[in-house]
Amino acid sequence: MSRLGLFKIGEFGFAVSLPQIQKILQNSKSYLLPRLPGAVSAVLVDAGQIIPLLDLSQMVGEKNLAEQTTESYQVLVESEYGTVALPADLTGRIVAEQKGELSTIAPQEISFGTVAKFIYQGEEYNVLDIDFLAIEMTQGFWQNQPDTGGARRHQ
Amino acid sequence: MIKVGSKKFIFRLGKTGFLLELGEVVEVVEHIADALDSSRSDIGRGIVSALQFRQTWIPVVDPALKLDICSEVKLQDKIAVILRGSEGNWALLVDRVDELSAAENFQTCEIPFLLRVAAMSFYSQIKLLYNEPMIVFEPERYYGSTAALV
Repeated sequence: MSRLGLFKIGEFGFAVSLPQIQKILQNSKSYLLPRLPGAVSAVLVDAGQIIPLLDLSQMVGEKNLAEQTTESYQVLVESEYGTVALPADLTGRIVAEQKGELSTIAPQEISFGTVAKFIYQGEEYNVLDIDFLAIEMTQGFWQNQPDTGGARRHQ
Repeated sequence: MIKVGSKKFIFRLGKTGFLLELGEVVEVVEHIADALDSSRSDIGRGIVSALQFRQTWIPVVDPALKLDICSEVKLQDKIAVILRGSEGNWALLVDRVDELSAAENFQTCEIPFLLRVAAMSFYSQIKLLYNEPMIVFEPERYYGSTAALV
C-alpha cells in the first residue's frame, strides 16, 4: 500500500511519498549561510548534518511562506542528491493513496517540480518530484536570477 | 597558560558566524570611526578604506561585500579585526566579535553536495559550534596577492 505525507505551506498543498520522508522536525532552528542558492532560504542542522531548507514560496510565487509561520514543521526528505528540508505548517498527515484521488497531469499543465495532483477530502496537493526540485532549486532554475540570495533576503 | 593554537576566534557578519584561528589575529580594534580614511579605497581589490593602526595605514576589507551579506551595522560602527598577512597587517571589518572558543567545542561538518557549488568560491569548510554552523574564514580569499586566485 502506497502512502503519502500531505502538508501545507500557506495555501500551497504538497504531497511526498512516505518512503522519501526521513524525519519531520518541529520549529527547528534555521541558520543563514552566505551565498545560498536563491531558492534555499536557510539551512537546518540535524544529527550533525547541514540540510538545505528549500523555499517553496518560489513555486507558488508568494512571499516567503515559511517566514509568515511562527510554528512550523520542517519535513526532511531524501533525494538522490542528499537530504533537503521542506517547510510546512502544522497540518501534516499521512494517508494511504487509495483514500484520495491521484491524477496525473497533462504535460501542458505540469507545474515546476510537480508530477501529479492528489485530491484528499476536497483539497488539492501537489505531488512533488523531490529529485528534480533538489537539484533545480540548489543548482539551476533560480540560481541565476538576480536578487534572490538567501542571506541577503533575510539579513 | 593559554594555548593560542587551541582557541578559535569567533565573529559575526549579519547573523552568520565565522571562525578564525586565534593565531592569525593581531588585535581587535573597536571605535574605528576616527581612524578610517575612506578615500583610500581600492574596490577592485576589495579594500573599502584605510585604517590607521600603530602609526601606519593598513588596508580595510569588508568581507560582507564579497559574501553578499547585508549588514545593519554602519561602517564606522564596525569592529576591525587586525590580521597578519603575507603583505603585512590588514583589517577585516566584522559586525560583532564573540568570545573565544576551544577547538574541541567544534564539530567537523561536511558542506552538503547540493550546496557545494554555491559555496565553493567563498568558503570550503563549516564547523558546528553547539549545533550552529560556523564558516571557517579563509583570509587568503579576501586579501593578499592570492585573493583573486582563490
